[in-house]
Amino acid sequence: MLGPLGAALAVFVAATVAMVALRSASDAIAGVGETAPERVPFLGGHPPEMHAWSRFHARYYVMALLFLAFDMEMVFMYPWAVVFVREGGIALVEMGMFITILLVGVLYAWRERALRWA
Amino acid sequence: MAGACAAVGLSAAARRAASRAPVPVFPVAGIGARREMDDLLVEPRLRIVDTPAAANVLLLAGEVPNALVAELALLHDGLSHPRTSLWWTLGAGVAPVIPFSVEVRDSDPSALVDAVVDAHRRLLTGELASSSPQLPDEDGAPWRGVGPYGQGGTGMTGGVPYGRPMAGVAPDRDGLRLDQLTVRIGPFFARFPTGLVLELRLQGDVVQEAQLVLPPSDVPTARVASTPFSDALHVPVRVSVLELERARSHLRSIASTLVSHQLGSLARRVLHLARQVRPGDDEEVERLHRVLRRSQILGWATSGVGHIASDRLEGTAAGPILRASGIARDERTDDPAYVGLGFEPIVHEGSDARARLAQRLAEARHSLELAGRAGDIDHDPESPLESPRGRLAADDLPAQRILPLIPALLAGMEWGDAVSTVVSLDLDTDEVLAMRATDSEFLVP
Repeated sequence: MLGPLGAALAVFVAATVAMVALRSASDAIAGVGETAPERVPFLGGHPPEMHAWSRFHARYYVMALLFLAFDMEMVFMYPWAVVFVREGGIALVEMGMFITILLVGVLYAWRERALRWA
Repeated sequence: MAGACAAVGLSAAARRAASRAPVPVFPVAGIGARREMDDLLVEPRLRIVDTPAAANVLLLAGEVPNALVAELALLHDGLSHPRTSLWWTLGAGVAPVIPFSVEVRDSDPSALVDAVVDAHRRLLTGELASSSPQLPDEDGAPWRGVGPYGQGGTGMTGGVPYGRPMAGVAPDRDGLRLDQLTVRIGPFFARFPTGLVLELRLQGDVVQEAQLVLPPSDVPTARVASTPFSDALHVPVRVSVLELERARSHLRSIASTLVSHQLGSLARRVLHLARQVRPGDDEEVERLHRVLRRSQILGWATSGVGHIASDRLEGTAAGPILRASGIARDERTDDPAYVGLGFEPIVHEGSDARARLAQRLAEARHSLELAGRAGDIDHDPESPLESPRGRLAADDLPAQRILPLIPALLAGMEWGDAVSTVVSLDLDTDEVLAMRATDSEFLVP
């Protein structure tokens, strides 16, 4: 009767109403942060001396790059899997060489301590 | 009408349910109260939390020095409403500088827990009013720029665009120039002893530089509470009493390490053992050692962390820290009472947090074994004295020798490792509170 669009709209409206209700209920019962000293972050008793905005080195980006490299390798493996049955052992050797080259890259990065988290 | 009655009934039921839950408490251990506060972790009716925002009850114990009034007021204002403060006197004569609603004079922990639970129940039912803010509603650095609508400012990096300065730029170890944030941690940081303040320069979570902030020397020195070891400086004390106290102190230090690695249930087990242990119970500690050795998390989190080069430890006489670096130095070897017992110091290699943990476990076991066969031998006050944290003499506290190691030790560490390292040094709250800046190498506020 409602149709899929109507059902989606009903879910959206219900979710919005629930969220607004939860927010108002939480604002009504939470008594935190009424004065300025009540709102400062806790550092053990001292107010912060600097803004917390700071640019820092996201060292995990190396992990992200590695993930991308191996993810792309998986993309190459799909067409390879299609021809693997026809080509047989030679295809296996070729893919083995490809993966080995990538792994050598990982070992090099490891030796250069690029994988150190911090 | 019926709706209003239902709402009142519902709210009363919610309050009753809330008052049955464990009470979230932020503890502040003053002078002579560290041990009692650590032991509160095993109380099922309390939930010890790490930030005031998660707590409704601020529990002050012992004598909290008046010099910390500004920090205490800010801590109090960080508590969530409804909130209140309690003072557990524990024999201290000087009351805290911020107002408190309940004073508990009984040193029995169950009396304190009853008082905390009762205060929390009264807070929730409205019998006890939520305490009002201690500090005026003034923002030290209002979030307002120079423009007519509060927008804009000058010098977005390294400048002061909105009241508080922005992080300055400094080179990091990869040769990049990135922001360096200055933060002051303490004196009520949950993992540090009360009174320890570190000023850190952070790049991300890497500590680039750490400095100790000590109260200036004109602030009166806090007294050090009486323990069997402080008594042993003046009067003869049974060796079995000293060794039992040493074992308990080491076990409490191990429990703090476990808490800092979020291993709360193991920590409770260790604290139970620390409370119940008797001379000759060395098998209990051995069993604990086997359990801890099985914990992979503890192994990963402590091995290689907080390595101290042995040349830095020269002359520190820092007890277990020194012996966990392979240096067999123990004041007990020069004490006739211990020579008669055939005392030999225990040594571990590694000089990291893991070695210090293993060292304290082994020493706790050894101490219980010694206490079991020491009989009525007394320690002579004229003989050298080895406290659980190293050589102890009048005006020569172990913390005075250990604290100066911290700045160089923390540089280059991630913040999590830095906390583990400070915890592994097992600093005594009373000794830290008694420290004053005398040397120019300490940063003085």
